[in-house]
Amino acid sequence: MDTNAKRIVVWLILIGFGIWVLFTLFPLYFMIITALKPVEEINRMVPTFWPETFRPDNFRGIFADPGSLKSLIDSVIVASANTALSLFLGTLAGYALARYLTGVVGENLAFFILSNRMFPPVAILIPMFFLFDATPWGTDSYWSLIILYLVFNMPLATWLMMVFFRDTPRELEEAAYLDGYTPLRAFFKVTLPLVFPGMVSVAMLCWIFAWNEYLFANLLTGTTVKTFPVHIPSFAAGSQTLWNFVMAFSLVAMLPPVILFIALRRYMVRGLSLGVVKG
Amino acid sequence: MPRLELDAVCKGYAHPVLDRLSLTVDEGEFFVIVGPSGIGKTTLLRCVAGLERLDGGRVLIGGRDVTRVPPYRRGAAMTFESYALYPHLTVFENIASPLRARGMPAAELRATIEAKTTLLRIEHLLERKPHEISGGQKQRTALARTLVARPLVFLLDEPISHLDAKIRHELRRQFHTLDELRRVATLYVTHDYAEALSLGDRIGVLGHGRLEQIGRPRDIFERPCNLFVAQHLGQPTINTYACALERQDDRVLARLSGAPEIRLPVADAHRVRLEASGLGQATLGVRPQSVRVDGADPRHPLRATVDVYEALGAQGILLGRLGSLPITAITPPEARFEHGTPVTLDIASDELLYFAPDDGRNLVL
Amino acid sequence: MSTTSQAAFVDRHEADVSERDAARVWGTSARPLPDWFQQKRSRGGGLVGAWVPIVLVGLPLAVILAIVIYPTVWMFYHAFHDTNMMSLFSGNWQPVGFANFGYVLTSDRFQDSVSNLAFYLTFGATLQVLLGTALALIIYELVRPRWLQTLVLILLVLPMMMPPSIAGTLWKFLLQANNGAINHLLINLGLMGADQRIEWFSVDLSLVSLVIADTWQWTALPLLIVYSGRVSLPPAIYEAARVDGASTWQVLTRLTLPMLREIIAIAFILRFMDAYKFVDKVYVMTSGGPAQSSELPVYIAFQKGIREFQIGEAAAYAIIIFVFAAVLITLFLQYLKRVMRHQGVTS
Repeated sequence: MDTNAKRIVVWLILIGFGIWVLFTLFPLYFMIITALKPVEEINRMVPTFWPETFRPDNFRGIFADPGSLKSLIDSVIVASANTALSLFLGTLAGYALARYLTGVVGENLAFFILSNRMFPPVAILIPMFFLFDATPWGTDSYWSLIILYLVFNMPLATWLMMVFFRDTPRELEEAAYLDGYTPLRAFFKVTLPLVFPGMVSVAMLCWIFAWNEYLFANLLTGTTVKTFPVHIPSFAAGSQTLWNFVMAFSLVAMLPPVILFIALRRYMVRGLSLGVVKG
Repeated sequence: MPRLELDAVCKGYAHPVLDRLSLTVDEGEFFVIVGPSGIGKTTLLRCVAGLERLDGGRVLIGGRDVTRVPPYRRGAAMTFESYALYPHLTVFENIASPLRARGMPAAELRATIEAKTTLLRIEHLLERKPHEISGGQKQRTALARTLVARPLVFLLDEPISHLDAKIRHELRRQFHTLDELRRVATLYVTHDYAEALSLGDRIGVLGHGRLEQIGRPRDIFERPCNLFVAQHLGQPTINTYACALERQDDRVLARLSGAPEIRLPVADAHRVRLEASGLGQATLGVRPQSVRVDGADPRHPLRATVDVYEALGAQGILLGRLGSLPITAITPPEARFEHGTPVTLDIASDELLYFAPDDGRNLVL
Repeated sequence: MSTTSQAAFVDRHEADVSERDAARVWGTSARPLPDWFQQKRSRGGGLVGAWVPIVLVGLPLAVILAIVIYPTVWMFYHAFHDTNMMSLFSGNWQPVGFANFGYVLTSDRFQDSVSNLAFYLTFGATLQVLLGTALALIIYELVRPRWLQTLVLILLVLPMMMPPSIAGTLWKFLLQANNGAINHLLINLGLMGADQRIEWFSVDLSLVSLVIADTWQWTALPLLIVYSGRVSLPPAIYEAARVDGASTWQVLTRLTLPMLREIIAIAFILRFMDAYKFVDKVYVMTSGGPAQSSELPVYIAFQKGIREFQIGEAAAYAIIIFVFAAVLITLFLQYLKRVMRHQGVTS
């Protein structure tokens, strides 16, 4: 191919690429400007692509409803507690799988634990709904979400921690034994510091998944406990959705995962690909 | 009092890595285990250290049976082939690790480490992380970590094999001069026979799950107990030929099976032993050092052709063909040989080795 | 510490490290230990007891037993019973054999949802992986300088970090027929007449809308994975190819894509398994409508189970989904096992 034709092809590719970038960014842009518009402007027959009136007050307005702040706090509580639990169980099991259960049994066990993440939770949620319903605190409690989110977060944490533990050479631990450390002390002296970056990325990943979760929260909770995705539909006046508040609140709510991702994106890839791609 | 005793140590069942291996290392002794890679040298050290569970036998350190004692209570210190330095800790903290494990006070700890690191000339690196220092410095750090631990037994796994020649030599000298190593018992593992000969008070040659031979370096080199030992000590590797020992007149001759026209006289010193074992078939071992290469003399009985000649500076290595049999010889440095040129060989008959064809034992020992 | 005492320590350690001293440290002689030495009793035997790994793995397995296995068995049981709201609380449900399955499998609603799922998996998951791969390679090869590459990557991955329910809400807003931003954008760009409106949430298009929203959000995942995979390919191979005079196309089809094959496959499988249980946006954007035109099997199972309390029927749905998932997951894990060995993640 001569260089001219080649250049044209490259430009065509870049134009297509540019269209995709615009397609990706436009909804985000529109989300932001909607959050800054007054609701009357949004409800007009022809939408404006640049706000005629700026209403940054929307971001204060969303918190006029005390439920808004509470829903964010509820989400923080559920996501953090679930992350702590997933990470704790996952670290212990991941360590055992990486160090002690290295045979065929251990390998199949690891894959079995991972497989739990992939099943559609439909077979789980319905029975658990009735199970929690039978407990004194009902389905609508922190515990039901904290426990049920283990369904997808604990297998992920176990699997990834196993991968990270396998990355740390066993010899370092053995050197610590010979230095006079018991297995427990060697774990804290050598192994844990080495997998710490991995642990942080697993924690962040679990936290984001729990933070973003909608289905379980929607079906199980909604009154006593109300995480933010469940709270969003309440920004309405009658049948009229208050899109300015919806978007402003959504922007606030998506800030934590976005910041975490940008800060930790190099570790995230490893986690998102189940450890296969070394970021 | 023996410092380290291995008593019929077994590891593995169907194809045991260690098969009823016994060994005693006295206090102050530097014992080198040499053997080809993958033969189980590291496994042996790990068994002594307690990192591998034994499948039989006992390990005694300082007279105490430690077979069922975990590694952190055995009193053994080990350097790993990979150095196994903690990457997240500084050199100082790496070396301090065994002392911290036992709760040594900070001041005493610092003094100890400074003393040892000065000795090993890494005192200027204490605040660096392992990835910031060179291979030789890593090795010294690993060594310092074992030295400060004041163990009953030092276990050194190929400590200098992965370093380049110059540093290797320097560290080898250091092993000679480290008093700590000379006070307790040291078990040193290497695949490099030169290292073994240079460092060992005694050497054990590991093969087929047990120590084929234990002895002083010189003895093992000159009087290998079997073919395996002879083949694994010495560089280039010893030449071996199947031969038949025959009496002719009042002499005994070794006739090479691959080249029947070649008959080498058996030295008188060997003759009695060989006759006692009944002559017959044997494996003849010819060290490359025992072969002298001369110019071409057509009347000489041992005529060979040059295949490859490597001039290595201090010496030359000639790969040739004796009839159809390959032969390696070491030549003086000034010699030059072209491919295909005929040469004559002189083999010192009193340096020849004879091994039994079945089990490979040395017939003239 | 004074210089003299320090010297004394050095002196002691240099001169006095005798074998007796060492024996003292390791507790093999009767002489008293130094006071800083914290002696520990050893249990003997191996490094850790055999119970340690069993307990460590046992904890998550117990959790899985409680929150995964128990409910699944429960569902299996009720799939063969006529359980509904009433009978569940009175405790008198009757076995009905395969009646639930027969009813579900022959119902139009189920069959429509399966064809919806097939459409969604084809255009959702597959399209996302193809797009993501192309975008990743374009970013890596054509976007310069390096900081711009990182910036573009972060921008393109932003949607993925968004809670799926918010992404659904956002697209529901953008795709409104009358004053939706997308329709008016198309009008402003001259792609559509000013009086035309695309009914995105009609019977014909609601599933397409779901696919658009989902593709917008999740193309980033294969993109990110493939990009990272491309970054970690060894540059030496590419230099060799350049020396051999390979064309850009040849490098792409003979080098890059074959070497990324496994990573692309993993990205595909991850997307596929996620798409298989996809339901968030259905709830937020269409509630399966209009006229059940955008229902997926998982959605119906939830509706039947938790909204209509037709437990037996919901269980039949769940079990059918479960069985298919089990087959897919088994195949996937087999593949993952191989890839991980290949990539050196496991031994």
